[in-house]
Amino acid sequence: MFEGIRTELAPRVIKGLLRSGFALELAKGAAKWSSRKESRAFKLWLDFLFDSMKGGFRRERPVVWISAFTPSEIPYAFNLDPMLPEVIACLAAHMGVSDSAISMAEQSLYSTDLCSFYRCGVGLALGEYLPKPDLIISTSHLCDGAHRFFHNMSQLFGCDHYLIDVPYGNGGRDRAYLVDELYDLADFIGKRTGLHLDDERAAEVIELSNRTRQVMLEINELRRRIPSPFSGSDGMSYVLGMNFCTLGSQLGLAFFRALQGMIQERASRGKGIIGEEKYRLLWLHHIKPYYPNAIFDILEGLGAVVSFEEANHVYWDPMDPRHPLESLATKMLSNFGCGPIEHRIRAILEMAGKYRVNGAIHFSHWGCRQSCGGSHMVRDAMRERGIPTLVLDGDGADVRNYSEGQTRTRLEAFIEMLG
Amino acid sequence: MGIDIGSLSSEAVILMDGQIVSYSIIPTGADTQKAARACMQEALERAHLKFEDVSATVATGYGRISVPFATKTVTEITCHARGAHKLSPNTRTVIDMGGQDSKVISIDTDGRVLDFVMNDKCAAGTGRFLEVMAGALEVDLVEMGDRSARAKNGVVISSMCTVFAESEVISLIAAGCSKNDIIRGLHEAISKRVFAMAGKLRMERPVTMTGGVAKNKGIVDALRRLLKGEIHVPEEPQIVGALGAALSA
Repeated sequence: MFEGIRTELAPRVIKGLLRSGFALELAKGAAKWSSRKESRAFKLWLDFLFDSMKGGFRRERPVVWISAFTPSEIPYAFNLDPMLPEVIACLAAHMGVSDSAISMAEQSLYSTDLCSFYRCGVGLALGEYLPKPDLIISTSHLCDGAHRFFHNMSQLFGCDHYLIDVPYGNGGRDRAYLVDELYDLADFIGKRTGLHLDDERAAEVIELSNRTRQVMLEINELRRRIPSPFSGSDGMSYVLGMNFCTLGSQLGLAFFRALQGMIQERASRGKGIIGEEKYRLLWLHHIKPYYPNAIFDILEGLGAVVSFEEANHVYWDPMDPRHPLESLATKMLSNFGCGPIEHRIRAILEMAGKYRVNGAIHFSHWGCRQSCGGSHMVRDAMRERGIPTLVLDGDGADVRNYSEGQTRTRLEAFIEMLG
Repeated sequence: MGIDIGSLSSEAVILMDGQIVSYSIIPTGADTQKAARACMQEALERAHLKFEDVSATVATGYGRISVPFATKTVTEITCHARGAHKLSPNTRTVIDMGGQDSKVISIDTDGRVLDFVMNDKCAAGTGRFLEVMAGALEVDLVEMGDRSARAKNGVVISSMCTVFAESEVISLIAAGCSKNDIIRGLHEAISKRVFAMAGKLRMERPVTMTGGVAKNKGIVDALRRLLKGEIHVPEEPQIVGALGAALSA
């Protein structure tokens, strides 16, 4: 499999990339994985990623960039494959090359005050390391920087950008407004691509998304087991990537089924991810640091396991395939990160109880204003429930803002606190 | 025995039957292992003991993993909490200002850590910051507290980046400001930063201050004014981490 990736990566998948040292680093990063024994789910993710890049660079179909919180079901309903620059930025960080991309953005006068994931995305875009988009779709909810980044990218590439304006509330009028937005978006995609939103295909996509949702729920049920059968670190890397990119596709369903099989197998053998699980932790916020770092090794060395992560909480109800856009609007508005902080706190407290955690780590990636802003309120609410919570300030994509010694002290002290 | 290897200084404390029998404080220098051995040796000599007489050695501080003879390591957060509780059992909040970081720790009636916050990677509010400023002002670090008390006018220091603050201090000297006024301005700026950090916790009283910076009366007074209350400073605040380490044995 990995031989295949390497050979694909070089001449065909991202041909242009290999003209530069940056691309060689990317290739080296992928090659490093070949020493890892990985699951079928992991293979499906790699295949998806490189097929997606290959398709984009070959311009086999219109390239649609979407933001992480744009429902992937929408492009799939048009038979378009979405591409998420944020996920590629995580991948670049994972491979240890995000600093090159970030530096490229900064040389082009992008402020260091911009979220490092978007600076990385800008660098990748400026270096032509991402397939040029024909269309960009983003949303206004949850992520502050997203719509500015995507607007900027639409200017850079000279393509259209549709911003889905998501209301703050989730009442009837808010839903009606968002439904109108989604119909308008469907019209916009149709006009820009010449493709038509077919009711039957849209229903099929919603059905696939529902079936995937069910599998995700079953996976999360398995993750309640003690010892934890799956690592939260992996949950926030390729699993979250597929959560963002593939809901509403056959591949998404296949991926989560494969993941379920792997976790089921481990759970049935009572096999945890570390030898002796002393502490179960909940990881709060959508992301973790993706560049090479010691955080999860330190925790696991102390007998602490991230049993679950907020990012993979299934918060939405099954959707009605007969009303795809209406259902997607409801799904978007039911996100617990929208609206007042009490929504998020309620969901987090529910997760803490469900996964029987001893403590929580709120990773405050400073670029994520919407999450960091509430971190201390979350901490206080958890503390009232007797669940100590560490607010760990950091940066998810820029390794220059990571100090292992400082991080180690905070993590060790927190685990000592759990006693 | 407790050994605290900090970025600027290293300390050792020997406990016998729960009482301090000796301690040592030395500069850490570049070689943390050497510093660990030296402060251990000095503390042993003062107590007329040999290393074989020590039942257990616990290391703490940023260099805790570089103490080859330690039986275990414990973070400085836990150690400062235990040490402060030992010296002042009513303490509910510990403000530790060391060479490379500052922290605020909430503790319970048994000295257990309930919550903590630490400064970010910036050196502001630490011993290193003050050391650099003392250099820029060409005054002895230990004089800073007394000089601060003699200040007549308020000077506002806006920059908290060590490098930028150093140039700000040089500019203020060039503008004719007195060194005492500048020192007081520095102390107030640092204290405001630590006070803001403490605001992230539910700070309860009494408050104990530990770490080498607690020897600086100017900082302690500035913090007292901000907290509007008393701050207990142990007789030797620099050994509280090492004491907590010894108590963790």
